[in-house]
Amino acid sequence: MFKNKTILSLTAAAGLLFACSDDDNIATASITVPDNYEFSRDGSSTVSFSGQTTRILMGEELISAMMDNSETEASLVGKFAHQSGDQDFANPELNASGKNLRSKTAASLDYFSANTVEANAIKSDFDSWIAGQVNEVFPNWNQDAAEGQAGQIQEAGGGSVRYVNAKGLEYDQAVNKSMIGALMVDQMLNNYLSTSVLDEADNVENNDNEVLEAGENYTTMEHKWDEAFGYLYGTDDATNPQLGADSFLNKYVARAENDEDFSGIAGKIYNAFKLGRAAIVAGDYDERDTQANVIREEISKIIGIRVVYYLQQAKPLLDNDKGAAFHDLSEAFGFIYSLQFTREPGTGEPYFSKEEVDTFLAQLMAGNGFWGVTPATLDQMSEDIVARFDFTLDQAKD
Amino acid sequence: MKRWIPLLITILFLQACSDSDDDAVTSSSDDFDRKAMLENWADNRIIPAYEDLNTKLGSMVEAKDDFVNNPNEVNLEAVRIAWLDAYKVWQHVEMFSIGRAEQINYAFQMNVYPTNVDDIQSNIQTQNYDLSSVNNHDAVGFPALDYMLYGVGNSKADVISYYITDANLNLNYLSDLVDRMKSLTQSIVDDWKNGYRDDFVNNTENSATGSINKLVNDYIFYYEKGLRANKIGIPAGNFSNEPFPDKVEAYYHGSGSKVLALEGLTAVQEFLNGVAYNSTNDGRGLADYLDALDINATEEALSTAINNQFDDARNAIQPLDDSFADQVQNNNNMMFEAYDQLQLAVVLLKVDMLQALDISVDFVDADGD
Repeated sequence: MFKNKTILSLTAAAGLLFACSDDDNIATASITVPDNYEFSRDGSSTVSFSGQTTRILMGEELISAMMDNSETEASLVGKFAHQSGDQDFANPELNASGKNLRSKTAASLDYFSANTVEANAIKSDFDSWIAGQVNEVFPNWNQDAAEGQAGQIQEAGGGSVRYVNAKGLEYDQAVNKSMIGALMVDQMLNNYLSTSVLDEADNVENNDNEVLEAGENYTTMEHKWDEAFGYLYGTDDATNPQLGADSFLNKYVARAENDEDFSGIAGKIYNAFKLGRAAIVAGDYDERDTQANVIREEISKIIGIRVVYYLQQAKPLLDNDKGAAFHDLSEAFGFIYSLQFTREPGTGEPYFSKEEVDTFLAQLMAGNGFWGVTPATLDQMSEDIVARFDFTLDQAKD
Repeated sequence: MKRWIPLLITILFLQACSDSDDDAVTSSSDDFDRKAMLENWADNRIIPAYEDLNTKLGSMVEAKDDFVNNPNEVNLEAVRIAWLDAYKVWQHVEMFSIGRAEQINYAFQMNVYPTNVDDIQSNIQTQNYDLSSVNNHDAVGFPALDYMLYGVGNSKADVISYYITDANLNLNYLSDLVDRMKSLTQSIVDDWKNGYRDDFVNNTENSATGSINKLVNDYIFYYEKGLRANKIGIPAGNFSNEPFPDKVEAYYHGSGSKVLALEGLTAVQEFLNGVAYNSTNDGRGLADYLDALDINATEEALSTAINNQFDDARNAIQPLDDSFADQVQNNNNMMFEAYDQLQLAVVLLKVDMLQALDISVDFVDADGD
């Protein structure tokens, strides 16, 4: 314990020292960093991420509809793979939109543009969870769940009723938490923050010369960065994030921030977005990429933290409160799935490969799935995951 | 100029580390007789309270059997009286979620409210229920009986006619509920008296699994959740945008919520001081432990500060309506005031007392989704 804390304190001190030297760099590179994520040109804002807001809102409608057993497979698929004009949503603006969730699922340039087979397999996973909810869980909505039997299971003490498949998995949680990785994290870390997207075609030259997109007030590079920003803050206050504004990444940044072991992480992410965007305005692409890597590391870490958190939360509940344990494990399932979309700075690779993720999930779902999973398996998985990140099991577990 | 700040912070961190390290080493070396406190808890408080509850539930079984054989108003009244008598005693044991009670989620099988009327009716209609199922935590125990004895009709005559109309179904469920509460409680009494008592009193160490650490955590959890939140805070709307008068304890009884809350507060205070359940004998308790360690609050001993705060809370609950549901609807500010007085003791217990006793909190607020 003593040693750990010493190392941490030294790391913190080192971090502060680096922060100081960063300050020096800022001065020499003449990057003007605003107090908030506010950037303008000729008096008008250059910030735009409405497409990300739209997709987050579509996601919200999808996951809440998955808990309404009057929905059909077609009506749910409509929310996932919406086509412009179809009446899939309660919100008319979403119905009018030409955007949808499925086309941006496992769709980053870096990870999936030349990896169609894997991208399709991931999209199909979402299709199958949606179908499973309608075809396996809805018909057993009022049936008590049991080993090998889909149905409902209530948390102890008159708690929430959970609706699970025959192996104890809540498909709505699988979709919700996996989407954080496959959509938000993948688009952010492996698409919009990537040099392959930011520097595509004439983006650098146009940004240097402030050549704006037709009819817009931003350069293409500025807009790409904003789109990354929008996957986290799209339903939040961009200039004063409240966090917890959605059911996806924004919510779990809040959860990490509220864990005293990780407090400060939200500000670190926000500042990196701000500084990186300011660097684009200043034409300092090295600084931009440095900040992109800060975001990659911290966002990836949040996924890792949540996996360990839910595995450890589930562990003591397995005997006496299967409803609560299965809920935690269903969330863990989705965050494990999301690990394959994380990105380790400097490697161009996720912290865990698709194969490793598939192995973890196969372990959880083996036999009768959550009904038979052991504390030892959850511990081993937790250890395997913390080994790749710079946090400990104790820090993440509560 | 910039560099010394991080170095200073490093030094502060190192300082903090060695402080906590020292604490961990010295903490268990106090002179207080921990085992004697555990013995007092087990022999003079926990086991006598469970035995009393078991006896009261035995009386309720008898009254229920009479009612099942002859569902009339006199017999209904007898079951109701037995129910409230037992419910009051229950307030003294709900905090002891340790041993078998912890293993079987005893409190969840005895006092989850609001009860779920849909689940109860569905159980009755299908006649295919497992009262031990986690799914039925909100369809069993005292709150389910509250509904079965008071909620199935407005007048006694209505309640009687409910049982006469669908005699087999409804009486069976009532009977099964009562029998199960008795058998669960019997099993806990048996466990304490057949070995667990010795395990409990001999487990004196200061660790996450030590008896004192566990029971003190149970105690504070009960105070914070079972008493403060469930009885007052949730119905008043402290945790929501609107109040929930239908979430009070003993909702269908109509005027039981205050007497049960006061009983719970009495149990909490007696436990703090180590007072015996069956007498006014004042044995070793947490207050004595704090005094032995010479722990002070701002102006007085911490044990005195906690007792005074409990008294303040009682004084804030006393003037409330016997029915908290009515109180919530007529003058909810008085509920909030009672909540605030209860809340003030949470800090003393959860921060000051736990620090003094070097006990870590073993429960966290749930994730919330």
